[in-house]
Amino acid sequence: MTAAAAAGPAEVLATVGLTARYGSIEALAPTDMHVEDGELVAVLGPNGAGKSTLLRALMGLVTNGGTVRFRGRPLPRRDPVAVAASGVVLVPEGRGIFGPMTVAENLELGAYRLGRDKAEFERRWTRVFDLFPRLKERLGQVAGSMSGGEQQMLAIGRALMADPKVLLLDEPSLGLAPRVTAEILETLHRLNQGGLPVILVEQKAPLALKLAKRAYLLSVGRIVATIDPREITSYDDIAKHYFA
Amino acid sequence: MGSLSYLPQILVSGLGIGCVYGLIGIGFCVIYNASGIVNFAQGAFVMLGGMVTFVLMQRAGLPLPVAAVIAIAGVAGLGVVVERLVVRPLWNRNATMFVMILATLAAQIVVERSTLLLVGDQPKTLPMFTDRPPLMLAGVAISYQLLWIVGCSLAVVGLLALFFRTTRTGKAMRAVAIDREAAALQGIPVSRMLALAFALSAALGAIGGILITPTQFTAFDIGVPFAISGFIAAIVGGFGRPFGAFLGGLTLGVIQSIAIVSFGAGLKNVAALSVLLVFLFIRPSGILGPAK
Ligand SMILES: Nc1ncnc2c1ncn2[C@@H]1O[C@H](COP(=O)(O)OP(=O)(O)OP(=O)(O)O)[C@@H](O)[C@H]1O
Ligand SMILES: [Mg+2]
Repeated sequence: MTAAAAAGPAEVLATVGLTARYGSIEALAPTDMHVEDGELVAVLGPNGAGKSTLLRALMGLVTNGGTVRFRGRPLPRRDPVAVAASGVVLVPEGRGIFGPMTVAENLELGAYRLGRDKAEFERRWTRVFDLFPRLKERLGQVAGSMSGGEQQMLAIGRALMADPKVLLLDEPSLGLAPRVTAEILETLHRLNQGGLPVILVEQKAPLALKLAKRAYLLSVGRIVATIDPREITSYDDIAKHYFA
Repeated sequence: MGSLSYLPQILVSGLGIGCVYGLIGIGFCVIYNASGIVNFAQGAFVMLGGMVTFVLMQRAGLPLPVAAVIAIAGVAGLGVVVERLVVRPLWNRNATMFVMILATLAAQIVVERSTLLLVGDQPKTLPMFTDRPPLMLAGVAISYQLLWIVGCSLAVVGLLALFFRTTRTGKAMRAVAIDREAAALQGIPVSRMLALAFALSAALGAIGGILITPTQFTAFDIGVPFAISGFIAAIVGGFGRPFGAFLGGLTLGVIQSIAIVSFGAGLKNVAALSVLLVFLFIRPSGILGPAK
């Protein structure tokens, strides 16, 4: 994985030698990865592998180096607001919902960049409730008082209100019951089938590999393998293939 | 302990000054929520509100309402200047909160000294908004200025609540206060919200300064005592809770006036600081409990 990712015509988002550091510690070695039109790409790896760091470097939330290319153009390096505004939207680890605000307010803020286009707002609003009907019943509820699964749905719904061109998710299954996880991943699958490119960071490899077109395996701050989910479906397979 | 028989009268005058403390306290909260900074330049805005209005009336011959509106807008603009010139550069360099707080204190001193150079050290005052003898209600004298202070303050607090609850920008400011990073990830322009917070706080301070000046006076150095009182109001209200700060201001105003009547004006600040200590010891999260 040293060659730069191919800049094919269908490339949506690509990192070219993207690095990240915390103070003097390099947490992400130069990384090349990409996602193409309509793809769902998974990023796998154990605790502390640097999965979140990769997404945060991509968004410009940490001190970073290298380039992130979005539809052929470099994204600003340390400006998460501009990156988000350009359509690259991250649902962060821990969800980042505005707990003291209502569900409706959280969703409205997702569409902050939209301004006053009522018709477009309605379209996004309806789409979110189409995907997560449960949110519609909770509009007036204080977001922080919802269950973990509902909060994760809200976080994804809020990101969708921004009408992302690429959706990045950092461990959406974290701390959720298997049934809720399945429901959320199923929704991601539907979104992706609808044409939305997704980068899904997950520790639960089997789940992610079921949905992914391609997966990157991260270990100690670098990509150590690119995985084809048709051949490999679990960490056992990964271990057999790469560490045998 | 003298004349507590005037209690209703004391309460009434305490509420007047308390409203002003409350407005200043809200200013502290708005900036603190947006940035985590305790802005000690807040007192400068209070002083400038009254002072700029005075100068505009005296030297430009403007009528009071016009002068007041221009002063409020000008001070709000100065708030943005302080944010851009003092806070933002430090922020971008990842300065510690302590450094930024000191920098706001320095800004306060710069404004104070510039005012001294420009208008001198003589106290100035503004005319009463309505120049009539006070109303008598059940033996309590209520000045028209007091009605102005309470009325305007409540109106400002109401408008502010409306702004934070219903407008897109107000909600975005709340979101930034709750989780700055998550707000940035939604494309909310976090740094513009910070500038806006300074403008709002400065305007609140200026309004307080204009309202209170006719009952007292203004001079280049009145800022710090007001800032301290507003800061205490914010702590008593549970720092970071704007409407708690307003209640905190009222509480402080009333306690101060009781202290003045009971022990003399010299102990006004002792009373204020005692209130602060009591709250820090007994209820550090303030009247309304902690923010967030
Ligand atoms: N703010 C920080 N300061 C210093 N080091 C950090 C910081 N955040 C993460 N790290 C370090 O960087 C490395 C990668 O962390 P990261 O959070 O990206 O891992 P991860 O793959 O997302 O793990 P997890 O599955 O637990 O979320 C770890 O060694 C971690 O300790
Ligand atoms: Mg992580």
